[in-house]
Amino acid sequence: MASVAAWLPIVRAGAVGWAPVSPNPMPPVPVQNRRPSDEKIMINVSGRCFETWRHTIDKYPDTLLGSDEKEYFYDEENNEYFFDRDPDIFRQILNFYRTGKMHYPKFECIAAFDEELAFFGIMPEIIGDCCYEDYRDRKRDTSERMIDDRLSEDGETDQSYSLREKVWRAFENPHSSTTAALVLYYVTGFFIAVSVIANIVETVPSAALPGTVTILPYGERYELSFFCLDTACVMIFTVEYTLRLYAAPNRCKFMRSVMSIIDLVAILPYYIGLFVKDENSDLSGAFVTLRVFRVFRIFKFSRHSQGLRILGYTLKSCASELGFLLFSLSMAIIIFATIMYYLEKNVAGTKFYSIPAAFWYTIVTMTTLGYGDLVPTTIMGKIIGGLCSLSGVLVIALPVPVIVSNFSRIYQQNQRADKRKAQKKARLAKIQIAKNASGTAFVAKKKAAERLMQSGGSMEEFAAKMSGFEQQHHHLLRCLEKTTNREFVEMEYTYNGVPCSRTPETTTHHPQSPPLTPSPSTSSSHNSRTTGCCGRKRRSNSSTRYHSAPTSATPTSPNTPQDYNDIQIRVPNRTSRADLNARGYPKVNSSIPTSTVTTAIVTMPTPTPTPTTDVESNQSGCTNSSGGSPNVVRISAL
Amino acid sequence: MGQALKKARQKRKLVGNSDAPQVGTDHELDDLEMQVVRYKPDGLDELVRNTKFSKKELQLMYRGFKQECPTGIVDEDTFKDIYAQFFPQGDASQYAHYVFNTFDTDHNGTISFEEFVLGLSVLSRGTLNEKLNWAFNLYDVNRDGLITREEMFLIIQAIYEMMGRYSEPTFEGVSPKEHAEKIFQKMDLNRDGVITMEEFMDSCKMDENITKSISMFDTTL
Repeated sequence: MASVAAWLPIVRAGAVGWAPVSPNPMPPVPVQNRRPSDEKIMINVSGRCFETWRHTIDKYPDTLLGSDEKEYFYDEENNEYFFDRDPDIFRQILNFYRTGKMHYPKFECIAAFDEELAFFGIMPEIIGDCCYEDYRDRKRDTSERMIDDRLSEDGETDQSYSLREKVWRAFENPHSSTTAALVLYYVTGFFIAVSVIANIVETVPSAALPGTVTILPYGERYELSFFCLDTACVMIFTVEYTLRLYAAPNRCKFMRSVMSIIDLVAILPYYIGLFVKDENSDLSGAFVTLRVFRVFRIFKFSRHSQGLRILGYTLKSCASELGFLLFSLSMAIIIFATIMYYLEKNVAGTKFYSIPAAFWYTIVTMTTLGYGDLVPTTIMGKIIGGLCSLSGVLVIALPVPVIVSNFSRIYQQNQRADKRKAQKKARLAKIQIAKNASGTAFVAKKKAAERLMQSGGSMEEFAAKMSGFEQQHHHLLRCLEKTTNREFVEMEYTYNGVPCSRTPETTTHHPQSPPLTPSPSTSSSHNSRTTGCCGRKRRSNSSTRYHSAPTSATPTSPNTPQDYNDIQIRVPNRTSRADLNARGYPKVNSSIPTSTVTTAIVTMPTPTPTPTTDVESNQSGCTNSSGGSPNVVRISAL
Repeated sequence: MGQALKKARQKRKLVGNSDAPQVGTDHELDDLEMQVVRYKPDGLDELVRNTKFSKKELQLMYRGFKQECPTGIVDEDTFKDIYAQFFPQGDASQYAHYVFNTFDTDHNGTISFEEFVLGLSVLSRGTLNEKLNWAFNLYDVNRDGLITREEMFLIIQAIYEMMGRYSEPTFEGVSPKEHAEKIFQKMDLNRDGVITMEEFMDSCKMDENITKSISMFDTTL
């Protein structure tokens, strides 16, 4: 039923039947203040008008439309409720009120749909059965995708990790970690391979020693060398295991995980063998068995191969299909083996001496192997044998496609994840470049304004060239500059769009941005700059896009070559404002007037601890800061 | 709304009673397809005459009714579902069955809008006599004009079932059988083992509690 509220009158009416048989009087009816419910309300969603009865909306009072919250959206002029949302999705939402069932349209993006549901206060669980499965499937797909993205993002953030975390990350993601991790990764891989090959070669029979008749396998001939090799491998594995154990965030969980058990199984036989060796011939049999477990070292390769992991995961997720396969096979084997046994047992010299013996025949036949060591000789036996092989093909063929499709789905997902990661880098780079274009626009405008000022042009026409929004935006940026006593400067971008700042080779406090690529200098005039900037850069800790560098100065190393397109921290000053500057930091660029202009260069007194630099630099295009002030470090590229 | 109904009525060709279903079936695909059944209520004015509701109220009720049951009729399962939603703790299906039968005056297994509205009109706006009449019809399960002990017990039991297991009996609580016996004794004035309409009416009117309770269920829409 869509809503029980509509049926209230009839149920209340039915309650009249209780009155005559009730020993107690009925309690009084609660008084309801009822609005006239047949009133239409208009809802305007992005221009598309919807109309409905008020009582339709009132059906679900805990949603946005059903509660008072919608009054916030009431437009008195037009007497309607206006929502600036997607009208197509709103159609579904309104239908929910009307019919009580929420449908999820298959062509909608699940994230957009979720957002609308959240906006209107509707739980996604209300989605009707017809659409719920589809919704959940798509939601799971996108959430898996989001998790992948987030994981890869986390890998890129630059936090400081403790030693333990670093080691763990080195083990788990060797490709995204330092080179030491990569080295360890390849070394362990190499040793796994060596160990496995040694195990194999040990058993190859070598040529007979001169003077003896017996042919020994290599393992016994060169026993000592193989033992040393084995010891070395086990050393490495042990070290690796203890390191992992140390670094694991959750040791109990780690110890229970499959990979750690494989690691343990790989190294334990050796240690057990050490203690048991040569003491007791009874146990040597067991010792030999233990050596078999060494072959499990090959499973350690699954850390190195993603495909193996996917295979393992697929098998795990298809456990029920595999179980069914096993079960149906066993049933068929038992049936056919029994029949074959009873048919063949009376033949002279038959090999079908028991039902379990017939199992072997059945298995070999059903899997179409047909070794031929056991064959029926009676006619009925041959008929049944034929049936057996035919049915074997069928029984095996049935669950296999399920397993295969699972595998391919998971494999594809992984492929998609890798593809996505690669695409994402490129996408982000482009987006970053576009975003920063607006930043550079601001700075460029400032430059242009400055040039205009010097050339004596009027500011009004300049201002008129910018759009209203741009004006406001730049005004805001200027307010920010004023507030923080810093200035925006140009940024340098690496090839992948990540903003970075040039750092001199001598920095010790390395800023977070990744190492850059050398950038061409924009104008040759910049080359006349002398240094000081890069030294300043050392202190820059901000990570804003504009890379506004703090102007707190440190003594800069002079004569560092610099490229003026990079970070440059401006420490501009004005003598005219010296009174504002507690430190009395000397001036720079006094010829430029304070701005009432949109993009005038703002120079402001900057609080600097120790004005001890004695570098001065010129700025192209403006009257130079007259020399003399030893504390001016003009590094700006503006 | 009335105009729309009239136009709709003219458009559709009906044979016979408007209550009768207009069935369009494809005989070959009976199993696969649903029957296309259209029920259309009587004209609005007629209903206004027959019931105590105003035109606006009828419009409102029909809209709600049609919204909930687009086919225009209520069948017993739907009715039971509704009751189950109102009384989730217990099993309201039995009582719903009796109420359904009482609403369904022509006993065709479905409640049309007219039956719905007529029933509601009696129960919300009717006189005491009319309501008691309706209650009598409710208790008279086999519609023979008399209430026997068994019928009384059935009704009382159905009511108790609605309460469900998780209800605390008050210290005066009795079992349904005793309750039914008590009521029966009270109402069977001439001790002939059955309750007739007059006995029912008289005994109810004598009890002030009952009259007050019944008048409490007036609803305004």
